Amino acid sequence: MLERMLSDFAHWLAAQQGSINLHESYYMWNWMESTHVLFLMISLGMLLIIDLRMLGLCFTDIPASKVADRLGKPMFFGFAIMVITGLLVFYSVPVRYEHSIWFRIKFILLIAAAINAILFHRHMNRSVATWDTDKKPPKRTRVAAALSISLWVGIVVCGRFIAYDWFDCGPDLSPFMTWATGCNIQ
Amino acid sequence: MDVLSAFTALEQGPIGTFVKDKGATFATIEAVHLLALAVLGGAVFASDLRLMNVILRDVPSKIVTDGAHRWFKWALVVSLITGFFMLSGIAVKCYHNTYFWVKMTALATGILFAFLIRKPLLAGDHAQLKPITLKLVGLASISVWFIVAASGRWIGFS
Repeated sequence: MLERMLSDFAHWLAAQQGSINLHESYYMWNWMESTHVLFLMISLGMLLIIDLRMLGLCFTDIPASKVADRLGKPMFFGFAIMVITGLLVFYSVPVRYEHSIWFRIKFILLIAAAINAILFHRHMNRSVATWDTDKKPPKRTRVAAALSISLWVGIVVCGRFIAYDWFDCGPDLSPFMTWATGCNIQ
Repeated sequence: MDVLSAFTALEQGPIGTFVKDKGATFATIEAVHLLALAVLGGAVFASDLRLMNVILRDVPSKIVTDGAHRWFKWALVVSLITGFFMLSGIAVKCYHNTYFWVKMTALATGILFAFLIRKPLLAGDHAQLKPITLKLVGLASISVWFIVAASGRWIGFS
């Protein structure tokens, strides 16, 4: 049911003139994809520095809340650009991405990273006053930061792997991968 | 041996063969290269935006630049190692690619700037330097590393 809805949606998007224009525009696609990748430097870069502070490995002389607050602004700006360009990249090749196993894993990891970030933010608001200036934050904070880094490593790896056609729909795909990519529905 | 012969030998040698022959090897190295680029970007933006007085204004800039430099160095080392492996797999293509040479020029400029100008300049008390000097150092650093990343991405498109 869900697979059918996703597949129908992807095919509907692919039929839109805007999607066709983006897909067929050589330089526009390159600019979108490049912007998406380059803003990794500011969005993920800032996030990793914040997580390293929470692990007690970077900027340990600066209060943790200050690092999170001040680097958070450029980080969110970077993520906003990444979301916009990411949606445009998806819009330009929706059917292939919707059936990409790497895109699917990336999407799940993004949701997990967002949940982790929300829970961490709540935990930080509640308890940061007790450990803000500690060079090494408490274990729970460090675990959340390590989880955040791990999830983002997975997101970047999956994002990079989307470009490869190892598991694209086709007769050579194993039954499991055919099911996991929804290729049996299209 | 001229440059093209050296690049050809690199691609046909054991490292080039290793990178090219296994499908996921190049992609995995690319992903690690990207992650190193993210850490490098984080270190560069955090310290240079502080020098430009955009973020962390209430923290002494020396604390920020010193703290970020350690991660900048690690990220640079990982980027260079993974970059060398990536080059090994597509060395001849890179030789004929203008953006590759733009990237190499920017990379050399960035490394020289970071270690021969930026680091010694910021080693002392930042209060002794004019604010405009700090801002220009930050702007130059962000610009050169942006060119490195952007030209690197464009290698794949050309």
